[in-house]
Amino acid sequence: MSAGATSAEFRANSRAALADANLQAALRGSRGGFVQKRAKARAALPEFDALRDEATALKNHTLAHLDHYLEAFEAQVVASGGQVHWAETAADARAAVLEICDRVGARTVTKGKSMISEECGINEALTAANITPVETDLGEYIIQLRGETPSHIIAPAVHVTVPEIETAFRAAHAGLDPARDLSRPEAMLKEARAVLREAYFAADVGITGANMLVAETGQTVIVTNEGNGDLTQSLPRVHIVIASIEKVVPTLEDAATLLRVLARSATGQEMSVYTTFSRGPRRAEDLDGPDEFHVILLDNGRSALLGTEFEDMLRCIRCGACMNHCPVYQAVGGHAYGWVYPGPIGAVLTPALTGVEQGGALANASTFCGRCEAVCPVRIPLPRMMRSWREKEFEKRLTPRGMRRGLGLWLWLSRRPKAWRFATRTAARVLHRMGRGSGALKRLPFGADWTATRDFPAPEGRTFMEQWKAMKR
Amino acid sequence: MSGRETILARVRAAARQRTEDDAEREDRVAGRIIRHEPGLVPRQGASSGHGRLTQFLNKLDQASASVGRISSLAELPRVIARELRKRGLPAEVRMGAEPMFRSLDWSVLKASIGPGRPVEPVTLSRAEFGMAETGTLVLCSGLDNPVTLTFLGETHFVVLRRSDIMAGFEDMWAAFRARGLDPRTVNMVTGPSRSADIGQQLQLGAHGPMALHVFLID
Repeated sequence: MSAGATSAEFRANSRAALADANLQAALRGSRGGFVQKRAKARAALPEFDALRDEATALKNHTLAHLDHYLEAFEAQVVASGGQVHWAETAADARAAVLEICDRVGARTVTKGKSMISEECGINEALTAANITPVETDLGEYIIQLRGETPSHIIAPAVHVTVPEIETAFRAAHAGLDPARDLSRPEAMLKEARAVLREAYFAADVGITGANMLVAETGQTVIVTNEGNGDLTQSLPRVHIVIASIEKVVPTLEDAATLLRVLARSATGQEMSVYTTFSRGPRRAEDLDGPDEFHVILLDNGRSALLGTEFEDMLRCIRCGACMNHCPVYQAVGGHAYGWVYPGPIGAVLTPALTGVEQGGALANASTFCGRCEAVCPVRIPLPRMMRSWREKEFEKRLTPRGMRRGLGLWLWLSRRPKAWRFATRTAARVLHRMGRGSGALKRLPFGADWTATRDFPAPEGRTFMEQWKAMKR
Repeated sequence: MSGRETILARVRAAARQRTEDDAEREDRVAGRIIRHEPGLVPRQGASSGHGRLTQFLNKLDQASASVGRISSLAELPRVIARELRKRGLPAEVRMGAEPMFRSLDWSVLKASIGPGRPVEPVTLSRAEFGMAETGTLVLCSGLDNPVTLTFLGETHFVVLRRSDIMAGFEDMWAAFRARGLDPRTVNMVTGPSRSADIGQQLQLGAHGPMALHVFLID
């Protein structure tokens, strides 16, 4: 499930990311864009925050009755002529995909954007079975050419600069005129469009994810801006949807509630360009569409979160707002998180799905500034859950020794008011003297890393408790 | 136990922490599905009268779609021919076996019927509904409206009756159910396709149409 994951090395990954000039340039280019667009979309809809409450309640209701909603969804898919495959693990999902591909003799498979597919390692499994997977979301296509994984859940190639994309296209599209002009983004888009259009028609199977599953109708729902997901599911003979169990919603009206907060939170659009509801295989008289419709329902550790302190995580609708607003994500990018889900949701989901030994370090990738929770369309208490993982990490003695000692010292002091006051008083006096003149410290004792890039404001000489007492008098 | 039973058993065990009464839960679920009650409808999704039309046209414009209004369906072939000339495109269009189109006189241009092919300069579809809430077109796939035409045309023309413009999701789904529709896909389309995956610069015409033009029949 987590082969190749490097989440445990988050600190080393971050250091490397901060030193990577290309990555930093890409992050600088994208920073702030999503934040502004979401703020604008929110301002334009007076009911936005009330809709977030509705969305939260709707997801909580569905999670409380997930068994019945999944059964209702399954019954509808079957009634429409589709098939449902239940996958307890990532390996089960891979097996289900391979079995279908093998039965229909698939040689190439086109893929719409799916984080679940990344989580299950579908591409690796297909490649090992001599089936060629072709990612069709432009960002996913770019990173597939570069042999990378997504660094953002809705903008997978956000870490790649324009010149790097040109290099990747020239290497991959070797049959085209080497002298062609690819300096402009329009030229690159046109080239990718032409290459992928052939792939859509050649593919035997199309795999998409799902933003939602509608229990009322047995429809799977995808939301895209490019239209790639629709070509992926409409041209091949077989359409496989791979979705996790918590994606189910009761009715079409409930789907509307989520759609109203999804795109606004993600890209600041009121509505993404394409929202497609798919039910069953093509109808008898249809001129196009797949002959077979399969839905793979993935658990992979999610049902174990129900009824625990991490259940709220299952409300996530994968908009990416938390990472767009996270100062840590914006500084180090998504790959530093080392597994499929980056940013605040990754910091909570990765330990939940891969274990605290593997993913626990990510819970430290936060200053607890709280912006992730403040912008989450389904109000997931991400900082609270990161704190829980930090506790578990500490209990399991996975936290680095220096940090454990520091926390131990702090704990000892905080439980002894006299010692605490003496220590803070001494520190306030000493630091005040050291910063006399400028009012700032260029170097902090035991904190040289912190002051390496900025000055520390010097204390004014008296502690909070001293000032409090003086004012009370 | 199969994967299905294992997953459902785990979900059920978690649900029983809250309540033992499975039957009661099942009733609640069935009731919610049957009633499919609307949630909170924002004012933006509850327009009416002339305001609805104005909002729909504004939202289409915001989504980078263009609109041409025609007074009767019979004019459609000639209006399409004119629009194609204006855009410098050949007088050819690909469409499905839509009954609404079949009765028209297509002699002014080359109209072919069938699903989408790898190269489709211009395709024509019919939208079942419009939604003024977001300037969204709602298309239903079928013999008369092949889904591939919505995504393979470089320029996509969509015909919509003015009376089919709904306020938002809720009245649209109500009308959808009332018409007894059950297509393989319901395609909500809000503007031409786009991508910002190359250097975070928004470009129109990713995999789908580069231009979306609506013919609104009054």
